[in-house]
Amino acid sequence: MLYKTDRLIKDFTGRRILDIRDFVVEKHKIYALTGANGAGKTTLLTLLAFLDRPDQGVLQFCGRTVCYDRDSLLRVRRRVVLLDQYPILFTGPVWKNVEFGLKVRGVNRKQREQRVNEVLALVGMEKFSNADAHKLSGGESKRVALARGLAVSPEVLLCDEPTANVDEENQEIILGILKKINAEAGTSIMVATHYLSQGRQLADHSLILSHGKLSERGNENNFRCSVKQERGGSLFCELNDSCGLRLENQQEDDLSGSCKVYIDPAGIFCFQDAGRISANQWTGKILCIEQAGEHVLLTVDCGVKLKIQLTVSEYQEHNPLVGGLVNLSIPEESVFLSPPYH
Amino acid sequence: MDLLLDSLHSAFLLLVSGDPELLVIVAVSLKVSTVSTLIASLFGIPCGFLISYSSFFGKRFLLTCLNTLLALPTVVIGLLVYAFISRHGMFGSLELLYTQKAIIIGQVILIIPLVTSLTIAAISRIDNRYRKTALTLGATRVQMVLVIIKEARYGIGAAVIAAFGRVIAEVGISMMLGGNARGFTRTMTTAMALEYDKGEFALAVALGLTLMTIAFGVNLLFHFFQGRTWADAV
Repeated sequence: MLYKTDRLIKDFTGRRILDIRDFVVEKHKIYALTGANGAGKTTLLTLLAFLDRPDQGVLQFCGRTVCYDRDSLLRVRRRVVLLDQYPILFTGPVWKNVEFGLKVRGVNRKQREQRVNEVLALVGMEKFSNADAHKLSGGESKRVALARGLAVSPEVLLCDEPTANVDEENQEIILGILKKINAEAGTSIMVATHYLSQGRQLADHSLILSHGKLSERGNENNFRCSVKQERGGSLFCELNDSCGLRLENQQEDDLSGSCKVYIDPAGIFCFQDAGRISANQWTGKILCIEQAGEHVLLTVDCGVKLKIQLTVSEYQEHNPLVGGLVNLSIPEESVFLSPPYH
Repeated sequence: MDLLLDSLHSAFLLLVSGDPELLVIVAVSLKVSTVSTLIASLFGIPCGFLISYSSFFGKRFLLTCLNTLLALPTVVIGLLVYAFISRHGMFGSLELLYTQKAIIIGQVILIIPLVTSLTIAAISRIDNRYRKTALTLGATRVQMVLVIIKEARYGIGAAVIAAFGRVIAEVGISMMLGGNARGFTRTMTTAMALEYDKGEFALAVALGLTLMTIAFGVNLLFHFFQGRTWADAV
């Protein structure tokens, strides 16, 4: 077990950014963390990199509760590296950037040189060793930042949107390196991404972060659909003759014709007031109610069979009954589209 | 106009001949200004860093106070320090009044707010990702601070130069606390004021030219190193 959380909460200016109940991340695996903008991906990675502390709750790392005193923090931080979405390189040549982590650990010059050459070769940047770090392109900067992180041989590599603003060639290189270090060095990796397809292509596990809540993507609520581009740029995702979703801000590439859609069970809201107007409101008949740990799972027939995850307090508030009708609202952040070939 | 041209001519001759009195005045000025700038930098740069990177109650008020102190007149500092180091003052027994040390104390008080404020401004401009990156790569707090200072070095260098420029050109503190004693506490600015009172414009103009040359030289040196550092990085 790499990370274990126990009701991890992070608030920011009075708003709850993260509220993660019991969750376990295993060692030596690749996890993809997907979620919309503002879902809390970066905040979660910052907590997992021990660069910030939770407001409440307990975070365990390798079986030990993380203490936030200076010495303990330095020890755990040196086992984890966070690669920023927009990595920043220090002023100076590339090799100086890459050796930074080794230098602060007191590694001698000869070993530093050797390791710098190794990791620069791994990311295909060995020819840029003496180049000014601030004169590299976006893709090259990301590769140097990756090399800088890998130089210290971290046990865990947390990557925040590693392929954002990077051309296709560099994307492939970066994803290839991540797969390689996971396979060869056993480095545990967590990649935050907008792109569900990329996550599924790369990762052993797909995690969904929605409204600050983390859930592992299950087999429920996966549907095939046909996607049509509408006027104004929105997408209409038709699940069957009676069910469709209108999506305004999808960031997935290559979405046309037949696609797959996943609706996060924890991201579907029930409400009683039928007059409430928002996009993607469905009404369905409750087929089944079951308890799953701290949650209650409803199976609802809305033309398609949907699983809805409610907290106990939500369940008590709505008091749904089998055979009764329920109004559902499906926010866009809870809908994940991916091309059919993934 | 003739007066100015005559003074410039005489001043040029004084400078070329290496007039000993002029050299002593310049040396005293450089000595007290350099020492006070160093002391203020040793105190002001870490303070600027601490204020910039910590959040505490009253931080805004402190920043406002620091900015207000930038406008503090030199004569006010002169009076304040005088009250402490004059014979009847709290530190009168140390006999600091009319010494170079007294000038240095006054000048340090004058420029600490300047160095601190400009350091805060320089560090605030540094992207927070530098701090985060240094920490995630395993840097200790001290190593992280060094990274930030390295990235902000031009801004901090500019703060030190601005402070040096302020003290080498001030006259109130040097006059009130140094006493303008010939060969001992006479600085370029106090000598210029004295020569003006005497109607001896040649030495005053020569000192003025020297002062401007020093200021220009220091700035030139700073820009030279700045340019060289950039060139080295390529």
